[in-house]
Amino acid sequence: MLVQALLIGLIAGWAWMDSRIFGDNMLGRPIVVAPLVGLVLGDFTTGVIVGGTLEIIFIGIVGVGATIPADVITGAVAGTVFAIVLGKGPEVAATLAVPISLFTVQLKNLAKVINSIWINKADKYAEEGNMTGIEWLHRGGYVVLFLSAFIPNFIVAYFGVSISETVTNVIPSWLTAGLTAGGGLLTAIGFAMIMQMILKKSLIPYFIGGFILSTYFGLTITGVTVLGVLLVIIMNQIKQEKEVSNGQSF
Amino acid sequence: MDNHSNENITRKDLMKVFWRSLRLLGSFNFERMQGLGYAFTMMPIIKKLYKTKEEQSAALKRHLEFFNTAPWLSTFIIGITVAMEEENAKNTDFDTKSITAVKVGLMGPVAAIGDSLFWGTIRLIAAGIGASLTIKGNPLGILLYALVFNIPHYICRYFGLFQGYKLGTKLLNKALESGIMQKVTFGASVVGLMSIGAMTASMVKFTTPLEIGQGEGVVKVQEVLNQIFPSLLPLLFTVLIYFLLRKNVKVTYLIVGTLLFGIAAKAIGFM
Repeated sequence: MLVQALLIGLIAGWAWMDSRIFGDNMLGRPIVVAPLVGLVLGDFTTGVIVGGTLEIIFIGIVGVGATIPADVITGAVAGTVFAIVLGKGPEVAATLAVPISLFTVQLKNLAKVINSIWINKADKYAEEGNMTGIEWLHRGGYVVLFLSAFIPNFIVAYFGVSISETVTNVIPSWLTAGLTAGGGLLTAIGFAMIMQMILKKSLIPYFIGGFILSTYFGLTITGVTVLGVLLVIIMNQIKQEKEVSNGQSF
Repeated sequence: MDNHSNENITRKDLMKVFWRSLRLLGSFNFERMQGLGYAFTMMPIIKKLYKTKEEQSAALKRHLEFFNTAPWLSTFIIGITVAMEEENAKNTDFDTKSITAVKVGLMGPVAAIGDSLFWGTIRLIAAGIGASLTIKGNPLGILLYALVFNIPHYICRYFGLFQGYKLGTKLLNKALESGIMQKVTFGASVVGLMSIGAMTASMVKFTTPLEIGQGEGVVKVQEVLNQIFPSLLPLLFTVLIYFLLRKNVKVTYLIVGTLLFGIAAKAIGFM
């Protein structure tokens, strides 16, 4: 298990660094992390399924801005470990992962506090015009951030298996059923967070429109998206034509 | 007057900046966020343009200041400041305060566009498409997810840098005048909200086994709902969370509260 736990720690570290030093390609997400963990544990397919399930649960929770409400990566790792070891279906495993992600997120915030040490030293180096020094301070940040993801996930992977077996025998079935029900609702928080950012009164019809296209017309998400893009293009054309005809009337 | 640089920024220099921009968040911290990363990204330019310690030191201090924006579009601001540094190295009258002013002035709007375009819209769509495949065990969804997000990402990151540099400060005025920023934000918001609407209907799992009446006259609430207003419960729940967020309820509380709600609703047979 030690080798597997180390590998899983490395996957989590890489996943976090994707958003820090590889350009934020959104690869540090459950949909990518869970299959990789599955691969290490010898059950790729379960990893793929758990990844999709967790991606939807955590859809609105991303490391944008300064603080993150939950540690999505550790959630994905823990969820996959539970699902494969316990074999109780992705939903149960995923929901057990949520409390862990709420807890370990504190480590990531701690790392962002610790990283302030580099910046104060960098001010001094800037005064001296010491560029190489500043470069190395920046790289010092990599180490702190990497460890903030590696450590908790190594622990989860190393001890998670033995603990989770006993834990799930102790947890009553009404609780897991309730957690699963609640987990299916967590997606709503993600959507609400995105809405809070982009929704304006004048844009409410588009939200309702998307909802209705899905419920009453049965369109898939891809279908609704394509329709949305076309709508924006058409609205732009109408607007431009208006501007042109207004121009001619002068 | 003679110590002014005649160095021109080349494509090669800009590519160095491009690669470094990927590591903008490498030392992210609460104090200055991407400040150290910004200075790190600008170093090839600073090295090339400024030959004295004093000039280099001044430039480094400028870019160590607080900075935070959407990483995928950050190169747009970086490109503009590269052009401004080049101008500053050639022109003694250049006011370096304007470089800081541009950074401070642009990081908010660019973050807003980047977050609504990349985080709110493109990633959401990528995740929706990808997860709908992987949930059925099809690993192609992973690849699709990565591509749907990253093709637009790298197009914007690359052209953002070169366009930003090419137009320099002119770009700022031009972009504001033509209203292109509002157009992009509006378009991204429309597509984003339509997908969220669709996903609320299909991904938030909320049905009720509740039954009213007894024996022959029993009415299954969910069946009635499905006929009149399918997915009403997911919609109501999402809107409720939205209003709670607007009332500044912390996300952590909402997560815990939602889990507790699930446990309670299951226990009384509402879910």
